[in-house]
Amino acid sequence: MNYFAGIDIGSTAIKIAIVDENRALVGQKISASGSMFYKYAQEALKELLKELNIDESDLVYTVSTGYGRKLFKEADENISEITANAIGAREAARGHCEVKTVINIGGQDSKAISLDNDGNVVNFSMNDRCAAGTGKFLDVVALKLEIGVDELSEYHFKSQGTPLPINSTCAVFAESEIIGLLGNNNSVEDIVAGVHYSIAKRIVKLVKRVGIKEGLYFDGGPALNGGLVNAIENEIGKEIFIPEFPQITTSFGAAVLAQESHQYENAI
Amino acid sequence: MKKIRDYINNADIRKFRFWLQLFFFVIFVFGAYFSIDLGHEIPVLSCGYDRENGGMCYFLPLQHQLARPLDLLFSVASITVLIGFLTFVLWFIVFNKAWCGYACPLGTMQDWLTSLRKIFGIRFSTYNQTQFDKLKKIKYFMLALVILAPILVGMGVLGGEWRTAFCEICPGRMITPLFVGDTSQWTIDFSSKSAMVLTALGMIITGLFIVGSFFKKRFFCFFCPMSAMHYIFSDAALIRLKKDGDKCTKCGDCYNVCDMQIKDIADDVESTNILRDDCTLCMKCVAACPEDDALHVDILNMKVFTSTKDGFAKRMQVNKWEAKDD
Amino acid sequence: MTKEINKHHIETPKEKQNRHKAMEAAAVLEKIKHEFKEPAKAMDYFYDLYDKVHCKHEALHDDKVKVGTMCIQVPAEIVHALDATPIRLCNGFYTDDEIGSDLLPQKSCPLVKATIGHFVSDNFSDKPDVVISPTTCDQKAKSGAIIEERGYKLFDMEFPRTKESEESREYWRRSVRKFTAQLSNDLNKKLTRKKLKESITKIGYAQHLYHQLNSLRKNENAPILGVDMFLVTNAFFFDNINNWISAIKPLIKEMEQRVKDEYNAAHKRSPRIVYTGSPPIFPNLKIPLTIEESDAIIVADETCSSNRMFNDMVSVDEWFVNDMVDAVADRYLKGCTCPIFTKNSDRIRRIVELVRDYKADGVVYQAFAGCQVYEMEQRSVLEAMEKEGIPILYVESDYSPNQGGQLTTRVEAFIESLKNRRKKRI
Repeated sequence: MNYFAGIDIGSTAIKIAIVDENRALVGQKISASGSMFYKYAQEALKELLKELNIDESDLVYTVSTGYGRKLFKEADENISEITANAIGAREAARGHCEVKTVINIGGQDSKAISLDNDGNVVNFSMNDRCAAGTGKFLDVVALKLEIGVDELSEYHFKSQGTPLPINSTCAVFAESEIIGLLGNNNSVEDIVAGVHYSIAKRIVKLVKRVGIKEGLYFDGGPALNGGLVNAIENEIGKEIFIPEFPQITTSFGAAVLAQESHQYENAI
Repeated sequence: MKKIRDYINNADIRKFRFWLQLFFFVIFVFGAYFSIDLGHEIPVLSCGYDRENGGMCYFLPLQHQLARPLDLLFSVASITVLIGFLTFVLWFIVFNKAWCGYACPLGTMQDWLTSLRKIFGIRFSTYNQTQFDKLKKIKYFMLALVILAPILVGMGVLGGEWRTAFCEICPGRMITPLFVGDTSQWTIDFSSKSAMVLTALGMIITGLFIVGSFFKKRFFCFFCPMSAMHYIFSDAALIRLKKDGDKCTKCGDCYNVCDMQIKDIADDVESTNILRDDCTLCMKCVAACPEDDALHVDILNMKVFTSTKDGFAKRMQVNKWEAKDD
Repeated sequence: MTKEINKHHIETPKEKQNRHKAMEAAAVLEKIKHEFKEPAKAMDYFYDLYDKVHCKHEALHDDKVKVGTMCIQVPAEIVHALDATPIRLCNGFYTDDEIGSDLLPQKSCPLVKATIGHFVSDNFSDKPDVVISPTTCDQKAKSGAIIEERGYKLFDMEFPRTKESEESREYWRRSVRKFTAQLSNDLNKKLTRKKLKESITKIGYAQHLYHQLNSLRKNENAPILGVDMFLVTNAFFFDNINNWISAIKPLIKEMEQRVKDEYNAAHKRSPRIVYTGSPPIFPNLKIPLTIEESDAIIVADETCSSNRMFNDMVSVDEWFVNDMVDAVADRYLKGCTCPIFTKNSDRIRRIVELVRDYKADGVVYQAFAGCQVYEMEQRSVLEAMEKEGIPILYVESDYSPNQGGQLTTRVEAFIESLKNRRKKRI
């Protein structure tokens, strides 16, 4: 049995997905990038193969993606995370909806990708200069409010009043703003909701640059945050499809591409 | 095939034009000496007052024909008028306005005056855009004169001396016969007041013609009724001046060299038929265009002469250069 | 007895600047020479030229009067006819950008900052005797005063912001006549008919050669990389024109042979790109390099540091001095597609025509962060490309060397999508 791996080496985390010949997801792994991400990526891949009882020789094609893609020398091919994300989104939502707009919020960047009817990337916009609107912002907020990142969703839905607007354009300065809000006796719930809407507004601006087309898909770690999803849906005014494992969409896309490339090469 | 095409596209238009103009000048001004008679419906100002002409300007017979009483004019007797007119149109359709640029003796004379000016190293003058817009309407008034004056004579409104009113004031009448030694046209007709005015006006206009075309390229062509007449039928002609707006960079080289200062050649990138009413189809614009296939002359929709990068380079002499010791 | 302490030589600011610039230049040259397929033999002249001028800081024009120009619109034909050499001073060095940023607002165009930085540091290998500054974009127009403050002799040339009307044509013609008189006066040289005709012919010849070389890129297998072409055209900024002409001729021959051999400077699968936007000036060839390193090939460009310098030709009806001066003036205005004009339909038509003519797969539109005119035109160009069905990528950049990852991701994603389109078409 042949297996194919997609390795997404991001700035915060390394995500690995393994698919079989039918492009079904057989296993995944998420670990921290740290500073020696090449080494950690190699180790993570070895570990995952062991966990799944797959022999290294059965792994016939590997595609790397993400910021660190070029350093993963064992990869047979490397592609940009935009293409990988698009492929992954299409495949993950197969049977549910035909994805035409992909929204990704990562640890340190966010992107919007627009696809045509055949799933090709026709346009994309990225925000990779500023942390406000990325996972980093959520980390900072959660830390400041002394709650876990996975608790943010809970707090969001408990919010009673209107979400408090966060005005700072910079995630770092937003910290001080939150202290101010806490000082004015605002509830943590309302602040969390405010943060979510602030991110949502930014994301909508980003998506508008590529055009909002039906078939919306949202992935990246923060997609697990139901409160954030709720805020974005309200701002866009449309329903958004969230995959089962949003963090690995990009690596999954890379793995799917690995299977396609292998098939293509063998067909020649 | 490609070789022939390249040869044509790289041609030196100036030389070609000079010889063709000379050829037609000899035919039209001196034709009778060689027993050439191309008829009386020629679409150029080849003056009928020159006894030795080889083909006569259509306006002279036209004015005589139109100067009939109205009832006669619109009767069967005027079948000759119709035939004459059709012959004119048939002549015209063959070359379109290229008659102006390559065959008209009056045009050729103006080009010779221009060459004279260049020998003296004097710079040409131009009209600015507002002057240009006003002046170009005059030729339609002239055409009206050509057609209406004889009709009014036939109706009895104007006296007989108005029969060929345009010819009285046309510089062709005074200048062309000079070439065969005939100075008899240089007189003022004192037989009546109108005749006096008309012939005096003719002298003045001739004077203006000579001075004007010395300083301004093709000065008279702005006012020529034959040009106006041409433009009315130019859509039916076989030869066309076409433009491919997508290839045009609006660099204005064509506008720069155009004797008639037609701005549309450079600035209009939508129209494909770029022949305007002032155009003499001299093709200087096509020769001066540095882009491939932006301007071209078509015969029956077949590209005959087109602008090319190589042709431009050859004509502007930038296809070779030798370093001299600086 | 005093011990001889090893005297540690402390660099003067000029030496430091030269060293940094040499490093920047050398890094880019290394990339171009070694990261792609074997370059043409005839390119050696150009590589050596850049090494000489930008790494070793040698002077090229000691024997002639040097007229520095701030923008493409300064008529080179007239400068040559007055026995002077035009040197385009638009600067591409990050080192100079840093120096200039002290005098200009933070959000300024890096090209202008770098040019001013160069003047301020007064460290020229070929120092201009007089500087000509056309009033094109805001930032260039105001740089003139800053440069004059530093003691350079500077003439402004009045350039119109519209180009359709007769008024603007007249205005520019008069500007050029005034410039001719001013320069002729300053250099104490008379403009003769013979000299002007000769310089128009010489520059026309250089343009003609460029057209010959550039047309070869229309082939399905483009024989030369975009980065090499940028080096060739950038060299025209500062090289001795006779030498440039002699050097490009063997390059054309070599490329013609490559076309016969169906040699592709990239690969058959490489998407063909038309590059447009803020001018890439050596050594800031960051984005063209990124594009070609990502397995695409630039087959044509619409930039004022490359194609536009050569595109429009002067045509003269009567070879008198005044007529020639007016014809030269027309060349620089009517066909110009600089975004400083009020309308940009000519630029859009040009890009579309280039895509068709050179059978390109997509367009990359690059604007400097801080270049308001290019940034503002982005929307209308994007819309026009969408209408024509031409894929286009818009990137912003500046001179900083470390934009790396963000830029490569965008460019690679775009090129991947172009490759996909090609595959689907087949």
